[in-house]
Amino acid sequence: MKMPKINLRVLKNQTQKEIEKAENLKELDEIFKKYLGKRGELTQVLRLLEKLPKTKRVKIGREANELKNFLRTAFDQKAQELKEKAQKKIEEKEWIDITAPGKKPVLGHLHPLTLVKREVEEIFGSMGFSVVEGPEMETEWYNFDALNIPQDHPARDLWDTFYLKNGLILRTHTSPVQVRYMERNNPPFRIIVPGNVFRHEATDPSHEFQLYQVEGLMVDKDVSVANFKAVVGEFFRKFFKKEVKFRLRPDFFPFTEPSFDIGISCVMCDGKGCSVCKEEGFLEVAGAGMVHPNVFKNSKLIPKDWQGWAFGFGLERLAMLKYKINDIRLFRSGDLRFLNQF
Amino acid sequence: MTFSYNWLQSFFKTTTRPPHPPTFGGPLKLPKPAKLAELLTAKAFEVSEVKEFGKDWVLDIDVRPNRAGDCFSHLGIAREISAITGLKYIGDTYANSYANLRLEEDKKLKAKDFVSVEVKNEEACPRYTARVIIDVKVKPSPKWLTNRLKVCGLRPINNIVDIVNYVMLETGQPLHAFDGEKLEGKKIIVRFAKKGEKIVTLDEQKFNLCSDVLVIADAKKPIAIAGIKGGKPPEIDRKTKIIVLESANFDSRIIRKGSKKLNLRTDASLRFEHGIDPNLTEFAITRACNLIQKIAGGKVAQGLVDFYPKKVFPKRIKLDFEHVEKLLGIKISKKEIKSILKRLGFKLIEVGPMTISVTVPTFRLDILIQEDLIEEIGRIYGYEKIPSVLPTVSLIPPKRNLDIFWEDSVKNNLKEAGFTEVYNYSFINEEDGKLFGITSPNLIEVENPVSLEQKYLRPSLIPNLLKNVQTNQKIFQDIKIFELGKIFQKPNKEKRMLTGLMLGNAFYQVKGLIDLLLNKLGISNIWYDEFKATPEESRAAIWHPKKCAEIKVNHEEIGFLGEISPRILEDLKISMRLVIFDFDFEKLTKLASEEHEYRPISRFPAAIRDLAVLVPSETGVEEVLNKIEASGGPLIRDIDLFDIYEGEELPEDKKNLAFHIIFQSKTRTLSSKEIDEIQNKIIKAIEEEPEWQVRR
Repeated sequence: MKMPKINLRVLKNQTQKEIEKAENLKELDEIFKKYLGKRGELTQVLRLLEKLPKTKRVKIGREANELKNFLRTAFDQKAQELKEKAQKKIEEKEWIDITAPGKKPVLGHLHPLTLVKREVEEIFGSMGFSVVEGPEMETEWYNFDALNIPQDHPARDLWDTFYLKNGLILRTHTSPVQVRYMERNNPPFRIIVPGNVFRHEATDPSHEFQLYQVEGLMVDKDVSVANFKAVVGEFFRKFFKKEVKFRLRPDFFPFTEPSFDIGISCVMCDGKGCSVCKEEGFLEVAGAGMVHPNVFKNSKLIPKDWQGWAFGFGLERLAMLKYKINDIRLFRSGDLRFLNQF
Repeated sequence: MTFSYNWLQSFFKTTTRPPHPPTFGGPLKLPKPAKLAELLTAKAFEVSEVKEFGKDWVLDIDVRPNRAGDCFSHLGIAREISAITGLKYIGDTYANSYANLRLEEDKKLKAKDFVSVEVKNEEACPRYTARVIIDVKVKPSPKWLTNRLKVCGLRPINNIVDIVNYVMLETGQPLHAFDGEKLEGKKIIVRFAKKGEKIVTLDEQKFNLCSDVLVIADAKKPIAIAGIKGGKPPEIDRKTKIIVLESANFDSRIIRKGSKKLNLRTDASLRFEHGIDPNLTEFAITRACNLIQKIAGGKVAQGLVDFYPKKVFPKRIKLDFEHVEKLLGIKISKKEIKSILKRLGFKLIEVGPMTISVTVPTFRLDILIQEDLIEEIGRIYGYEKIPSVLPTVSLIPPKRNLDIFWEDSVKNNLKEAGFTEVYNYSFINEEDGKLFGITSPNLIEVENPVSLEQKYLRPSLIPNLLKNVQTNQKIFQDIKIFELGKIFQKPNKEKRMLTGLMLGNAFYQVKGLIDLLLNKLGISNIWYDEFKATPEESRAAIWHPKKCAEIKVNHEEIGFLGEISPRILEDLKISMRLVIFDFDFEKLTKLASEEHEYRPISRFPAAIRDLAVLVPSETGVEEVLNKIEASGGPLIRDIDLFDIYEGEELPEDKKNLAFHIIFQSKTRTLSSKEIDEIQNKIIKAIEEEPEWQVRR
């Protein structure tokens, strides 16, 4: 049999060129079949090898096998290239407008008072204060008399009160829980008391007849005004997450002696003066004082054995400052346009 | 209360003469009005406003009720200013020395010939002093006097009345002037009013008096409401020649009661109801006579009529320097402490190295115990100088409050489920009650509501949640809200409820939510019981009778689930159906448990078979589920109802229930033969029921 003329070099060039030209995987596959398929040109060369004389067979055989491996790699590379190109094309086609609005999942919302209350509880919790609660319908004894606010005394006018036909009142502050707690627990202790309180007054953007208050009470052998300043100062720094200056001013509450009101440097203007603080640079946020000996007495504790301080503040006020809310009536409006923002 | 800056300034002079006629300035200048306001606010009382008024300034000072006794007066505020600034004020000497206010009495005229005083009840009137002035000329007051009254918001009338008011503003002691010739029987009697007595006051108001109102009467009738307002009959007019001047002390509670009863509050009653030092009457009346003599002329009759059976003497309080330090948390030098107390008018006696005895002037009605003195020291010394010192305490971790823990947990879960939390008022109005079939006798009523909207305490959280829907439905179609708060029940019960609602035909969504919520609380064995209202059960009124259920754990009802009756929704103009859940939160927290156990994932595959069952419409899914479970045995891991179908292609009154039944063993792989056997057992059991049919 006559040996066909084998020019591997031409075959190589030809194949390479065709691979190069292939536009897609299908074309590439055709080319593969043409050269390396069962009846492919190179395959046929390899099949003819055995008919060659031994000397030639070895030489051409090696060259042909090398070519085969070389082309395989070239095919693979090209295939990879085409695949990537095809994917890219698909991706290109899938362009989306990233400026179109996203679709939000429907989440619920916690009330801002809950958020603020949790924060207050957490901060005081970290300082060893337990959370205690008490009734919202209260006796006059716990709400007034036990707190050293005698009947028929003008001091009672400081608290506008809702009277109920069942003989109770709606508590005007969380302070009655001081007495309720001290009656049943022996000092030392540190507690805070969150809860609803009620004031009989007309409402406007800064007045509300139902408020959420937090009371604090710390009693031990010797806790002083200096300690009070430290604990409350720490609270305000943590709550507003910045350096807050605060000041005590004389005030009067029948159940504390001495009594003071607490002002903090305005968190809106950092004390420079703005409309929120009425240009004063300070905001009154809480009332406080050292527990009056009569309150210890009324709680069945021996006054000379114990010292303590107490404070009370409105959560609405803190929330208004924290979230820049301009109308206190929003809290109990049930308005979802307001609530959905928290 | 408003104060005149110039008037306050007039007490700070080097001369010891009383400030008449007033001279402004003087060698001891007060700080400028704004600065003075700042000082007062920092150390005594808040000054809420400083306003220019002609050549003067008005200071609006918020004197707290405990200091009304001495500081509802210019003299009292001057004393505070002196203590704060260290400036010596004239009152220091003049309040304590009546000598400076010596009156020239006319020895030919005896006061007791013009009036006699009888006090029927000495508890109601601990002191009554009176003086008589003859031949006065009633005319308008000089300008300096009317100016000062105007700065303090008082309307000038005539010199006598103006002086009486002036002395009240200056000393804090209310006085009253009667026309001596109009007193029947030349008598002044202090007594309680008799039933049926009436009085017409100076401003022509008529009052019916009753036996707990204290009056000043002459021999025949009441001529003034004691400590509150003068009566018309003995009014001072231009013809008045003889003045009987009253400076008395009345019991604060009695004046407060009377003032409330008559609904009449005056500058006088305001001062009396806070309590005044009985020793002040004499000084004030002397001061008033002094001014009358100078301004209205006339002769002061000899003798002070003075009923004062129980003289009040100064109290003494022991002050322990160590206690001052212990309470305030700062060491203040003994010298400083003593100086502060002296500036405030206290007298000190040394009794030991660390103790002094403090004599409290009788005008300081608020100082009763050592702590009161410590407050005085603290505020004048300056709270700002007290350092911040963290307390040294035993390391007791805070007690965990489980109520709060579960509250937080439940709220978080509801929020995750897309619910928004609301805080509503604790009140409802009468209409709400009626709509819910709760009549007023069953509600706790507010005696003095702010408005009719707050007439009753809420017996349920539902009414206000429905109001939230009313107000929001125009803007939001998809409302899911909840509240955790207290409800109030007669006679005096309050309990916490967890109540929420969801708009739409959402019974099963809410039911699923409840299962999930209770699951998160670690509460199992939940079941739903049909609600069978007893005829007297009022809550039946609000629910859709066919779409509601009691939520039960074991045999206890812990909550309620249901659609609100369309009738109620129509009344409330709510356009969409809505489903409510209503839990007794206290019961929930009792049942709640933090225990939670992981169930290992089986290593063996699960197999799923579907089963469709045709049952009568009124058959409960629960019944079918129970049947499958009972007949299928322990290899059934779960049964999942994935479709309920009623309608076309099905016989009337029938529904199709489609289940996925999931089989799995913890110990081996189940063969399909084994599963088929169980499945056949289930089918057989179901078909034993005459009206049930498995669809193949």
